Order: sequence, then C-alpha cells, then structure tokens
Amino acid sequence: MAEINLKVDDVTVAYSNGHVALHDASFELNRPTICALVGVNGSGKSTLFKAIMGFVQPIKGRVTISGESVHQAHRKNWVAYVPQAEDVDWSFPVSVWDVVLMGRYGYMNFLRIPRQEDKRIARECLERVGMWEFRDRQIGELSGGQKKRVFLARALAQQGRFLLLDEPFTGVDVKTEEAIIELLMELREEGLIVFVSSHDLGSIPRFCDQCVIINRTVLATGPIETTFTERNLTIAFGGALRNVRFDHTDEPGSRNEYRVLTDDEGALVFDHEGKPALPVKRQIAESDHHD
Amino acid sequence: MTELLLAPFQYDYMLRAMLVSGFIGAVCALLSCFVTLKGWSLMGDALSHAVVPGVSIAFLLHLPFAVGAFASGMLAALTMNFIKSRTRLREDAVIGLVFTTFLALGVLLISLYPSNISLTTIILGNVLGIADEDILQIVIIAAVTLAVLLLKWKDLLLFTFDPHQARAVGLNTDLLGLLLLTLLAATAVAALQAVGAILVIAMLVTPGATAYLLTDRFGRMMAISSGIGLLTSIVGAWASFFLNTSTGGCIVLLQTILFLLVFFFAPKYGFVPIRRQTRRSTKSIPVTRARVPESHPH
Repeated sequence: MAEINLKVDDVTVAYSNGHVALHDASFELNRPTICALVGVNGSGKSTLFKAIMGFVQPIKGRVTISGESVHQAHRKNWVAYVPQAEDVDWSFPVSVWDVVLMGRYGYMNFLRIPRQEDKRIARECLERVGMWEFRDRQIGELSGGQKKRVFLARALAQQGRFLLLDEPFTGVDVKTEEAIIELLMELREEGLIVFVSSHDLGSIPRFCDQCVIINRTVLATGPIETTFTERNLTIAFGGALRNVRFDHTDEPGSRNEYRVLTDDEGALVFDHEGKPALPVKRQIAESDHHD
Repeated sequence: MTELLLAPFQYDYMLRAMLVSGFIGAVCALLSCFVTLKGWSLMGDALSHAVVPGVSIAFLLHLPFAVGAFASGMLAALTMNFIKSRTRLREDAVIGLVFTTFLALGVLLISLYPSNISLTTIILGNVLGIADEDILQIVIIAAVTLAVLLLKWKDLLLFTFDPHQARAVGLNTDLLGLLLLTLLAATAVAALQAVGAILVIAMLVTPGATAYLLTDRFGRMMAISSGIGLLTSIVGAWASFFLNTSTGGCIVLLQTILFLLVFFFAPKYGFVPIRRQTRRSTKSIPVTRARVPESHPH
C-alpha cells in the first residue's frame, strides 16, 4: 500500500451565493490516526467534509488523498463515509442488508450485482458491528445506536483507507458510543486514517490522538496533548461554550481546580494545569448514568 | 355482456390507445418511485408544463414534437437550477416562477401560431386521436427510458438515497442527477399525448406513492408501481371508451382510487391498521401511579 496521507493545501471554498465558508485552510494527516475535527456550528466543518467528498470544488488550493485527487481516490474506494443521522431518510424503503451492500458498489460490475465475495464481506462487517441478525429490517425500525452501527458496517465493507465520520455520537447511547470508539481504535491499528467531526468535546481526548480546530480556517492542528488545549478551544469557540470553574478549596496554590468546557454534548474538564482531566470525566459520565 | 366489454378491442384506435397508454403508464410509474423518494414531485409537475412552448416551436421549425418538448423541458430545469444556486429564493418559489413563465410562453405561441396540435390536446391529451409518427416517438422515448432504468436503477437508487455514499464509491453524482432529470423530462414528453400536460404529474407520482405505502423494499416498490401504472393505464383507456370521456381523466382517477384503497387498508402503513394498532397498544400500557400515602382522617 502506498503511503497514507490526507493533505488539505491552502483550500478556499466559496458557495455560488458568494458565501466563503472556508479560507486558506491547510493541514496534513500522514500516518494512521484518529483525528478530531472541532469547531462551532457554521465554522466550515461540513464544508471541509464536502471538499474531501468532492461535492464542492475549492476556488483555491487542493485536497489530495495519498497524492491523488479526491475523485481518483473515490474511484479507488479509498474514502468511506458515515453520514450524520439527520442526513439520512430513515423511511426510505431499504433494508440493513441493502445499505451494507451499498458499501460494495464500487467493486461491483456495471449492473451492481453483488458477487459472492461482496456478500461475504458485507456479512462479516455486519457481524463485526453486531447487526447481522437485523439484516432484514427496514432501516427506520432500528434504534439510534443500531442505525449508526449499520452505516459503520457499510463504511467497513468499502475497505477504504480513510474513514470520515460526521457527528458519530449524536443520538447514540453510551454503550454504542463505547463500541464505536473501540472499533475506531481497531481501525487505527489496522492502518486507517479516521477523521471525526464531533461536538462531544469530552470524549475526544479519550480516543483521538490528533485534532484540527477550525473556524472558517484552520486555527490549530496537531497532537491532542499540545493542541486540544483550553486556550485553543476558547479561541475557537469564543462565547459559544459554557465555561464553569470549580474550586472547592480556599487554599492558595490549590491543585483541585477544574474547569468545564461544554458545547451541547459531552463536557470537557480541565485540571489546574489546563490539561484534559480524563478520570473525572469518566466518573461524571458514570455517576450520571447510574441515576 | 362479454361482447360488450370486449367491444373496445375491435377498434384499431382503441387497441393502439390501450397499448400506448399501458406502456407509457408503466414507464412513468417506474420513474415515479425515484420522483417520490427524491422529493421531485413539484419538479416533475413543473417540467410537464414547461414542455408546452417546445411543442409549438417544434411545429414551426418542422421538427418532431418530442424533440421540441424535451428541449424546452430541459431548458426549464436548467434555468431553475441556475436561479436556485444564485439567489436566496426557496426552491418552490423558483420552480413556480420558471414553469409558469414557460407555460405562459407556450400558451402565447400556440394562440399566435395555431399548429396541428391544439392547446386542448397538449393540456388534456388525446391518446385516441394519436398519429402514427407520434406513437413511434412515444414508444422510442419510453423504451429508452425503460432500458436506462432497468440497467442503472441501483446507481440511481444510491444517488437518491445517499449522494455522499454515491460519491464515496466513485459514482458521478452530477451526471446521475442530470440523468434522472433527463428521464423525467423525456417521460413527461411521452406521457403528454396520453394524458396531457396537467395530468402527467399524476402518472409520475401516484403509482410510486401507492407502492411506497405497500412495501419496505425498493425492488418490490418498483414492481408494484409499474404494475399499477400498466394496469390503470390500460383499464383507464378501456373505460374511457364506454364513458365516452377523457382517457387521461380515467387513468388518473383509477390511480387515485387505488391510492385511496392503499392509504386506508395497506397492511403496515394503512390508516386503518395503524389506528387499530395504536388503540391496541395504548390499551396495553400498564398504568403505574406513584403511591401516595393515604391520609387518615382523624
């Protein structure tokens, strides 16, 4: 396999109504990774995804995937995509099995008749996400978590090198969220670049190793430890986040100070040094769910 | 009695009308599955009206009517697309604006330059008085549309359901969108003669909508829908012989009757079964109330 690489090079995207959704955006992912895409609503997250999916043409700059244009990359089935739940018509007359086979279209012939191999891979992928028993269900007859698993299975069936996930945790129960995170980590082990847009700030440091923070352009990019900081996030989100500071002691030089940053989903907790405080987040999440 | 019912089959023009209507009806119905799921009903309506000026221009230029009608329909579709992408107007406003302009132009042209096809024929259709060369045009259009749909329905299905995934597996979504639009314009032109510009949209929506309520599988939806289209069109043409009335009206009303039956009685998504289900399940909800300590009167 050639070198795995996603390069967004000085990309500017303007819509035909004149709105510039993204300008001079540059970053590069060049090893197996789980990278979070973070930003407020309207910061250009979906525009960036659209540029990678080839739905919008940048008026300046270019997106390359392992050195190829996005269209070439799609022809080679390199880029798999898991849509946001609200982008799917759940009353569409297709079954779970139909959906997963859609991941194999690029390998099928002109008439898109699945071969034995396509069926075998589709089955394996459904089994991997634990949805094989649901294969004959119409997709609207599933829970939020099950729906997400089906679309993950479709993405797996495509056997790509890049996986794009748009808000994978919205409307998903905690158990499924854990299962998805585990699966994404396995995929990173297998050598994929996983690129996730998420509002769930709290969960990002737990499974992502890189992040791209944007607001109409790339504000910061790099490893989670050095980039996913309170300072960068505050710049990116401005006043859009709720920011609560706790300090239960009056002691000078207290080490018990925590700050909570939260968008509309999972909260992100920082300790006194401004680093993400993971154990506390877990405790909060668990005690929440015991109630 | 049987003799009376078979009477229409003795006339060449009736036989032709039934066959042509049936073929067109089935192809329109097949396409209606995509139209209803893509949310293009209004677009189909607009296209069927926008073909009118093309008919008149084709007559003036001595071209086959289908060529003019098709060109006019596509021009309208592209105009809508252009305006929509460059203004903040909502899609329905753009569609309303463009197709009425085309229709007005058509009405104007036909009243200025009376052609071999009267305005009434274009608007209401007249499959009984259809000329041989028109039949040929219709059959060619319908056959090509049918072939494309049968070969490429899976790609069009993915494009309709999830354009992002269509991109991800390397399909050209712009081309597929244009293909679907072309098929829509072409069938609208073909059905024009059978049921007229006003009723074309019924043929492009009702069978698909009916089938949608009957199944959860796209393949089955296409089979049911085209079956409905074929049957209602043949029976409608046949019935119009006895009622001595508009073929288009008969076909579309038959489709509506079928739709209503399905709307009320479809096993899973029908009005009656759903209501029965709701009643049954609300009855079986166990009533649990918080226990309030009884207060003892002293």
